[in-house]
Amino acid sequence: MKNLIERAHVARAAALDALSKVIDEKALEDFYVSFLAKKGSIPGLMALMKEAEDKAAFGAAVNKARTEVVAAYESKKAALAEKALNLRLAREKIDITLPGEPTPLGHVNPYRLIIDEVTDIFLEMGYEVCEGRDVETDKFNFELLNVPKDHPSRDMQDTFYFGDDYLLRTQTSAAQAHKMSEMEEKKPIRMIAPGKAYRRDDDDMTHSHQFAQIEGLVVDKDISIAHLKATLELFAKKMFGQKREIRLRSSYFPFTEPSVEVDVSCFNCGGKGCPMCKGTGWIEILGAGMVNPRVLEACGYDPEVYSGFAFGVGVERVAMLRYGIDDIRRFYQNDFRFLKDYPVK
Amino acid sequence: MNISYNWLKKHVDLEGLTPEEVASRLTFSGAEVEGISYLAKGANLVIGEILECEPHPDSDHLHVLKVDEGKYGVEQIVCGAPNARKGLKVIVARVGAKLPEVEIKASRIRGVDSNGMCCSLLELGVDGKFLSDYQKAGIEELPADAPVGEEDVLGYLGLDDVVLELSLLPNRPDLYALNNVAKEVGCLFQRKVTLDEIQDYPLQKSSFTVGSNAEGCPLFTARVIKGVVTKPSPRWLSEVLTASGIRSINNIVDIGNFVMLLTGQPLNMYDADKLPEPSLIVRDDLEGDFKAMDGQTYPLRKGDLVVTSGGRGMCLAGVMTADECKVDENTKNIVVEAAYFYGAPIRHTSNRIGLSSDSSLRFCKGINPHQAEYVQRVTTALLKLLAEAGEVEETVVYDTMAHERKVINTNLAYINGRLGTSFPIDTVVATLRRDNFEVEADGEDLTVTVPSFRIDVDGKADLTEEVIRILGYEHVPSVLPNVELSLTGLTPRQTAERELRRHLLHLGLDEVVTYTLQSKAESTAFDYLDHGELYVLSNPMTVEREVVRPHLAHSLLSVASYNANRQNKSGAFFEVSDIDTKGCSSRHLGIVLYGDKPARVGNKGKAYDFYDIKGIVTSIFESLGLNENRYRLESWNKGGDEMHPYQTAMIYCGKKLLGYFGTLHPLALKKYDLKSAVLLELDLEELLSIKVSPIKASVPPKFPSVTRDLALLVPTTVTYEALRRELLRADPLIVKVEAFDLYTGEGVGEGYVSLAVSLTLLSKDKTLSEAEVNLAVKKALDAAAVKLGARMRQ
Repeated sequence: MKNLIERAHVARAAALDALSKVIDEKALEDFYVSFLAKKGSIPGLMALMKEAEDKAAFGAAVNKARTEVVAAYESKKAALAEKALNLRLAREKIDITLPGEPTPLGHVNPYRLIIDEVTDIFLEMGYEVCEGRDVETDKFNFELLNVPKDHPSRDMQDTFYFGDDYLLRTQTSAAQAHKMSEMEEKKPIRMIAPGKAYRRDDDDMTHSHQFAQIEGLVVDKDISIAHLKATLELFAKKMFGQKREIRLRSSYFPFTEPSVEVDVSCFNCGGKGCPMCKGTGWIEILGAGMVNPRVLEACGYDPEVYSGFAFGVGVERVAMLRYGIDDIRRFYQNDFRFLKDYPVK
Repeated sequence: MNISYNWLKKHVDLEGLTPEEVASRLTFSGAEVEGISYLAKGANLVIGEILECEPHPDSDHLHVLKVDEGKYGVEQIVCGAPNARKGLKVIVARVGAKLPEVEIKASRIRGVDSNGMCCSLLELGVDGKFLSDYQKAGIEELPADAPVGEEDVLGYLGLDDVVLELSLLPNRPDLYALNNVAKEVGCLFQRKVTLDEIQDYPLQKSSFTVGSNAEGCPLFTARVIKGVVTKPSPRWLSEVLTASGIRSINNIVDIGNFVMLLTGQPLNMYDADKLPEPSLIVRDDLEGDFKAMDGQTYPLRKGDLVVTSGGRGMCLAGVMTADECKVDENTKNIVVEAAYFYGAPIRHTSNRIGLSSDSSLRFCKGINPHQAEYVQRVTTALLKLLAEAGEVEETVVYDTMAHERKVINTNLAYINGRLGTSFPIDTVVATLRRDNFEVEADGEDLTVTVPSFRIDVDGKADLTEEVIRILGYEHVPSVLPNVELSLTGLTPRQTAERELRRHLLHLGLDEVVTYTLQSKAESTAFDYLDHGELYVLSNPMTVEREVVRPHLAHSLLSVASYNANRQNKSGAFFEVSDIDTKGCSSRHLGIVLYGDKPARVGNKGKAYDFYDIKGIVTSIFESLGLNENRYRLESWNKGGDEMHPYQTAMIYCGKKLLGYFGTLHPLALKKYDLKSAVLLELDLEELLSIKVSPIKASVPPKFPSVTRDLALLVPTTVTYEALRRELLRADPLIVKVEAFDLYTGEGVGEGYVSLAVSLTLLSKDKTLSEAEVNLAVKKALDAAAVKLGARMRQ
């Protein structure tokens, strides 16, 4: 009897010894066949049961041997699998610095970027967007805006004409005249008009025969310069940063009275003075004013009842200041090496 | 307009103010000072006398000078000026002097010590246009009586002036007159203004006559002044003119210019003895040649304002006097003209013949028409003072203008309402009075009389501007407007366009902006979405930019070309822009893809082709909610050398041509210097106006679908679309047909392609059996064979 139990111990020891020498999955399979499969040495012990006197004791010894060997086998199997997996992963190493699958992202001409950004600011303030056309009539570009024929301020804007009455608009203010005169009921207006404008300028670093403006117009009862100031302050802070301030300087435009130039505190130096603001701490960003009563009247609004303010932002100028663009012609060249800095958001 | 600060100082109390402060205040109140320039600059200067002048031992042009500098003693200076000589009084910049360009240091020049520098006026920063060639070539030669040792050299020379350069806007033509600038500065700083008293002289009866037959001249005055003597102007006069950028000529010419500077009224002077008859009549109906005092002959046209005498042109009004009656050094008796000409005819004449002057500029901007008599008196006084004028005749006048002062009624509420301020009535009244307006206040109602020189002010809105520009915009509070709530934001059309742009940007296309104007030739090519006759400029700057483009194709291909020539080997980009022709106004979308598509490392680059742009087109339509039944493609039938005739498609919606896309014609590629490119041009206005049906939800099928792949040999004359339709029509169980492979070459007969398609079969009532699927596929194959001549590939 003792001998039989001894044989179970020996078989167990032999199996564990053999398992300890297994180094790969092939050897592990061979081990399984020799020791744990139906005909393997450990299950084979059960054949001796009939010879055992104390069957219970022998059975327990065999079971113990099998449990131990199976556990050792399973742990060996897991260890080998892990090793094999690690080996495979190591073989799968790639160069993560190579470029990814080209998934191109478009780039926006900064000119459009500024138009969209300004548009969004005023949309949030409840303005509508009226665009107008490039080809305008003398009436909407000049006459209704208090610039009659032979008015000295026509000198300020050399105009591209098609015959006598049609022209390329010299300012997006033409959209003001359209909006006001085309309102069937003369109701309050809050609008911006982004668009192109044209002047007979030779193209150079700071001049372009084509450029973009964003016109703004508010018409209501009791509108004052104080409203204009607060609106433009809000705009300046959104556009150029919360710490920005604005100041107004007296100026002249035929379609507004009074007229002002609006400066924003320099967003480069914060107002201390730097080359960007030419040491003044302020940068001129737009022209504005109270809608000239004659313009209101010409467009069908009673200037005794309604008043309004208007402003015009030069798109390229803002983009040039904001991004440090050196030459206005860059906007129209569309060199991809220039556009690459402005990916779509 | 250039203002002499010295002149200004004489007439306005500027005690305690710097030119910079005055400039800043003017700028903020509407008269921008563009520049402040010092006529000359230099410290540590002294007037010296050359005691000795010996040649430099080691140079053929340098001199070694001994210069007496008064209390500073005698210094040795090496000087290269050819006019250095013994006894000459000179300007010496002493060691340590800072001149605009250099700082003077003690030095050794070729072995000889030199302590200081003898200067020319150029070296002190004086503009060369005021100097003679002789002055520019050497050192300045001071008069023999110049005080040696004097240290205020700039003061002695009258070069201690500062010039304020006013950049005037069209609403302030009054500031083209020094008198009015003085009033403006006085008003802004609340300082006393003292203008010169004008002495009156006894006047003789005049037999001279004036008149006007031209609408452009409603006012004409003239005075005959006898016995004038031409000579150089006194220093004070030439200095004021110099500061204003006008060169001093002689006393008569200078007086004319000075009176204009002072009053803003251009003058003209005629030699009275050379006029054909003692009269001046303005006409605008003269034609023929006009010989001007510059020696040139100009053609006259109807509409030119001409001052005539005896029927002949004596002056092209406001522009230039005739040669035959000009004032010269022999002139004894003159006629002084002070007239009012409207800006428009003067501008037309001046632009046409290409001549402009300080006078024409002032007429174009608009002058004060209410001061002709005053101007005549000023001129007379100066001619008496500086030109020994004798007998003066009374002013003869032709005048059809109204001279009543403008009166504006307004009230405090209007002014404060417009400004958003709460100024008390006293402040408003005081401010307007400061500004030379006469104000009567009745409670809060104001009756305001406008000063005659403020021709720009004519309504109550103008008065609010006066108040705030003088008090300063810093007094305006910041208050957001109260608005009624309403639904605002972008219109559906605007939203659709914005989303389309974003869609394209996220597909990887760049958004570009290009010029509207292009040449005629560039516009006739690619003009396939024919909208109508082109807008052609009457006054183009060049033929390259002469018409408003009727399409985007040329602009975008130029962008491709520009980039391809700058090592940007490929690109994908679009533009959305208005298109204007006489036929219609629209908005287009243009796309160009050129060069190779971006490829992963290790994969070979493939050029963008027709199917790349088609993929984008399909995605555009889908994103707009337009499925493929809403539009159709047709083969290109427009010919031309721009698009590949067999790789271009036209997009139709019903009968309407929305646009086209395809491969560029090889000839067009050559023209734009591109290797490969595809193009799309789409009428966005048409596209975005197509009605989109509302979405109806689909229910995902309950039963599984079955797919069967077929390889078919299809005649090349049969399109994929025709095959697809035929297969779909063959059996209702076939719900989808998709191509997945295309092959030509070995094993495929001439005139055939091998097209592999995948059929999806589905029933909404049950799971399909093998037999049902086989039957449907057989029906499909039969239909393809019978109708299209396609067969299974073995």
